[in-house]
Amino acid sequence: MSSPRRGAWAAPIETFGATAMQVAREAGGIAILAGRVARCLVPPSMDGRELVRNMYRMGNRSVPIVALTTFFVGGIMVIQAGMYVKQFNAAGLVGWGAGYAIFREIGPVLIALMFSGRVGSNNTAELGTMTVTEQLDGLRALAIDPIRYLIVPRVVAMMVMLFILTVVGDLVAIVGGALFSRLLLGLEYSTFYYSLIDNLNWTDFVHGLVKSAVFGLSIALTSCYFGVSVRGGATGVGRAVNAAVVAAAVSIMLLDFFLTYLLP
Amino acid sequence: MTGGRSRPAASPGPALGPQVPPSAEPNSLPAGPPQGALAIVRAVPAAPPIRVSRLEKAFGHRRLLTGVDLDIPSGARLGIIGPAAGGKSVLLKMLCGLVPADGGRIDIGDDEVTAMEEEQLMAVRQRIGMLFQNYALFDFLSVGENVAFPLVRRGVAREQIDQRVRERLRAVGLAGSEEKMPSELSGGMMKRVGIARATVARPDIAIYDEPTAGLDPVTTSKIYDLLRADQEETGCTVIAVSSDVDALVGFADTIAMLHEGAIRHQGPASAVRDASDPVVRQFVRGELEGPL
Repeated sequence: MSSPRRGAWAAPIETFGATAMQVAREAGGIAILAGRVARCLVPPSMDGRELVRNMYRMGNRSVPIVALTTFFVGGIMVIQAGMYVKQFNAAGLVGWGAGYAIFREIGPVLIALMFSGRVGSNNTAELGTMTVTEQLDGLRALAIDPIRYLIVPRVVAMMVMLFILTVVGDLVAIVGGALFSRLLLGLEYSTFYYSLIDNLNWTDFVHGLVKSAVFGLSIALTSCYFGVSVRGGATGVGRAVNAAVVAAAVSIMLLDFFLTYLLP
Repeated sequence: MTGGRSRPAASPGPALGPQVPPSAEPNSLPAGPPQGALAIVRAVPAAPPIRVSRLEKAFGHRRLLTGVDLDIPSGARLGIIGPAAGGKSVLLKMLCGLVPADGGRIDIGDDEVTAMEEEQLMAVRQRIGMLFQNYALFDFLSVGENVAFPLVRRGVAREQIDQRVRERLRAVGLAGSEEKMPSELSGGMMKRVGIARATVARPDIAIYDEPTAGLDPVTTSKIYDLLRADQEETGCTVIAVSSDVDALVGFADTIAMLHEGAIRHQGPASAVRDASDPVVRQFVRGELEGPL
């Protein structure tokens, strides 16, 4: 509430303060959820059926869209590089350029963003609906810990499946890059292959996979947190999905920055 | 409080064991001492008494419960009535520790629910079966899986689970609905599945939040008959909230009225229509003229 003595300058400060408090509250909530999940994982204890069910619907069903997208990402890498490859006669660097960008950055970040949009938002909506329809209370009333039964399998499933999807997506992107190099630049497959193998090492691939596991954890925690903290019925579920997608995207970019800086 | 039912003296086993011949309910589990894995569900002490003292709860600035006192003897059938949005559902959730109290205490037997951590509450909740106002069916599980859920989590043998699920679904008039998903059911059907789930493990304490909301009068009567038969069979303590005052008065042996955050009246159901308190009388009779 604004007081008559306060000037117009107070409004932005109030807004900033309220936003900062909101972000701190959400970050704290996610941290607490992470702690409770970690407690359930030491020693590992979760519902195996829920884990398998989540891995299937989160992972298997994401393969076609990830494969389709990353296939063309490989092509985009080649198109972008094509002009300079011709100008500088640097055909021997096409495989390296595409592989380096895909393995270390484009693959993990793009697939994580897609995973967040497809799986994370779905997860938030599902948990949010369960929250507003008292299903989480129903579990607690049956003496079942919703964190152990619902959240932990989802967190593990998202981390594992994003990791696997990144492996699949990286490989499909490389295949796409090789194919489009051949079609658009007339590059031999062997040239592309040796450019890739000779100039990259396993750390480039692992670098991206470490990122994907961390992104998976981040997407899982944010989507679960916003799901279980829904208030206000269907409208609240909509708001939670929106907030979860935004939070996941921001966290992916922030984590990518720090991981790129820290990892070899 | 008067009218509390005591557990039948000739009980062959602990609280959750069947105490009437199988013929009393078609396809019910065989009578006699607990056998096999279902003994896990039955091997608990008798229904404990419940005592609520000066219970308080506020949401923001709204003080919903301002000092609720209730004394519920073992094996009682208590009906709670009161104006809408008056805190009846919150009170039920507080009884099993789903909503924390701001003040006062709840004791279930020797357990002080209001002082327990979530992990400690799990043991108390295993003795409680609860029907939620909005059913709270798990929409990722089929009807049969929903009803079986409490037994599966207790490690009961699959054959016994299937038998018990079939019996419960038949009892609520939904025989053969095991494979359906909750999204395929009407509100009344979901309510009945919720009742089947709440009673499948033969709890010591059964809590029903609006058990007959959305049901037609005939089904309402059938459901209350079923709840009464279950209670008489197991000797459990039943606490039911309902807006259908007539049906609830017919079912419960004691009626309590929650009004303005406190228990305004508690007494025998048979006498509630003639209560001396004009607020209670007007509410039960549904009269337009009066203090409400």
